[in-house]
Amino acid sequence: MNVITCYKIVPDDQDIIVRDDRTLELGKAELEIGQYDLPAIEAGMQVVADAGGKVSALSVGPKLLENSKLKKAVLSRGPADLYLVVDDSLADADTHQTARTLAAAIQKIGNIDLVLCGEGSSDLYSQQVGAQLGELLGMANINAVSKITVEGDKLIVERTLEDEVEVLEVSLPAVISVTTDIVQPRIPSMKEVLSAGKKPVTQWSLADIGLADNPQTIETIDTLAPELAERKQIVIEGDSEDAVNELWENLRQELQ
Amino acid sequence: MSAMKNVWVFSEKQDLLVELCAGARQLGEKVAVLLIGNPSAADEAIKAGADHVYLMGELEDSRMVEDFLPTIEKLVAEHKPDLVMFGNTKRGKLMAGILAAKRGTSVLADVIEFLEDGTCKRRVYGGAAISTIKSNAEVAIATVGGGVFGTQALDESRQGTTENVDFVAAESKVKCVEKRAKAGATVNLSAAKRVVAVGRGFADKEDLKMAEELAELIGAEIGCTRPLSEGLDWLPRERYIGVSGVMFKPDLYITLGISGQIQHMVGCNQSQTIIAVNKDKAAPIFKQADYGIVGDLYKVLPMLIEKIKAGK
Repeated sequence: MNVITCYKIVPDDQDIIVRDDRTLELGKAELEIGQYDLPAIEAGMQVVADAGGKVSALSVGPKLLENSKLKKAVLSRGPADLYLVVDDSLADADTHQTARTLAAAIQKIGNIDLVLCGEGSSDLYSQQVGAQLGELLGMANINAVSKITVEGDKLIVERTLEDEVEVLEVSLPAVISVTTDIVQPRIPSMKEVLSAGKKPVTQWSLADIGLADNPQTIETIDTLAPELAERKQIVIEGDSEDAVNELWENLRQELQ
Repeated sequence: MSAMKNVWVFSEKQDLLVELCAGARQLGEKVAVLLIGNPSAADEAIKAGADHVYLMGELEDSRMVEDFLPTIEKLVAEHKPDLVMFGNTKRGKLMAGILAAKRGTSVLADVIEFLEDGTCKRRVYGGAAISTIKSNAEVAIATVGGGVFGTQALDESRQGTTENVDFVAAESKVKCVEKRAKAGATVNLSAAKRVVAVGRGFADKEDLKMAEELAELIGAEIGCTRPLSEGLDWLPRERYIGVSGVMFKPDLYITLGISGQIQHMVGCNQSQTIIAVNKDKAAPIFKQADYGIVGDLYKVLPMLIEKIKAGK
């Protein structure tokens, strides 16, 4: 079983600073693997642990992907090798551009049985790339998968929807977007971190994967922190009976 | 988006479909619904706001909702509406994505507002910001959640047309072999009028019982911050307030042991009144609360519960 797990490098949203004009300062934010992508990587490792095969990691994006710490971060979580498609134009890629780039890379890698995606990117969280990628590759295509079992040349998966769980038979090759509770991602051991630096990394440009023309179809006009509502800010200090009484009086007004 | 002529709606969830129909009426001159169901369901869709219903057939055991996509694709390709809105369930998101990929475009995902100039808004960075986006596609495709347009009463006198369309069969690479109800009741926090939200100020899962008691006394739903549902697994993900595409406008929002990071606050920012209990005087929550108490929730909460009981 040849497995690809896709991931995105994102800014840690705890580090995002909102400027006075409500624009965002992302430059100081620590970069990390998307938190929804980590379970997808681990799910890939589980699949090959059960069924044999190899997991490769794949990411497409701007030059920051080349950061060696970030490359080690993904490879220390198990994948045997890493493929990157790097072009600064991908920094503002919409979900269609991202899916097309991933699809072209996966076709170039070739001979892939299973592609795993997280349930969404932790920065923009459109939850769209997996769905579009499956269609572009013409593979079986399903999302919200919380369990994967390999059965011969098929997968039996559980799909957790809003109010029901489906058990699905999925033919291979397939693109599957997994939920965060499919598996707890590992914390890499020192040994895994050390060996990560020795694993092969293949880097391509858009031209290498034959994707010179990949226009944007959704334009982002601006991104601003929301205006906060005016609040009364009546704050009582202390947890004495009197203080709680005062709080209760305020609460009682609201309950009427 | 007042310039739109034709707005189409699909959702496999009846309540969401009704909301999206009402919304589509605000956005476009003509509203059509892509419907899985029977003729009486089509009548309901018309009462909810549809001018035209494409009745695609019923959901038989051998078919998944997703199997209706080729039928939808064919209709969209034939009629080219200005906008197709999918309810933002897991199924809706998958179907919107597949349709978009077929048509060589992206999806306006989890739109929270459509503006008159043709742009729309969505939350990004875990809710810390809102992007204004615009589709350049011939047929714009969007996913939209509950609460965005609000509900409107059904109009019993509304007239519309229903058209039976042929099911377009396609090779199915995914087959449903079993379905079961999901453990645990589903919660619809977006509809709650009062919410008691819990955060890391609670030291133990058992202690959430205090919050549950408070919630029950005042008729509120329980919500939580991300660490409680995703790190600690104390509460199901449906109760976590933050990244999800759900609009959240309760009348009363009580936070217990929540520091008030922006990623959480954006989820509840539109609450009518916010009350905060936190022991850290410097917690940002107090800047965004109407009423706050700087105190230990383990002391405040039992006293408050007693007072509510006594006051009843």
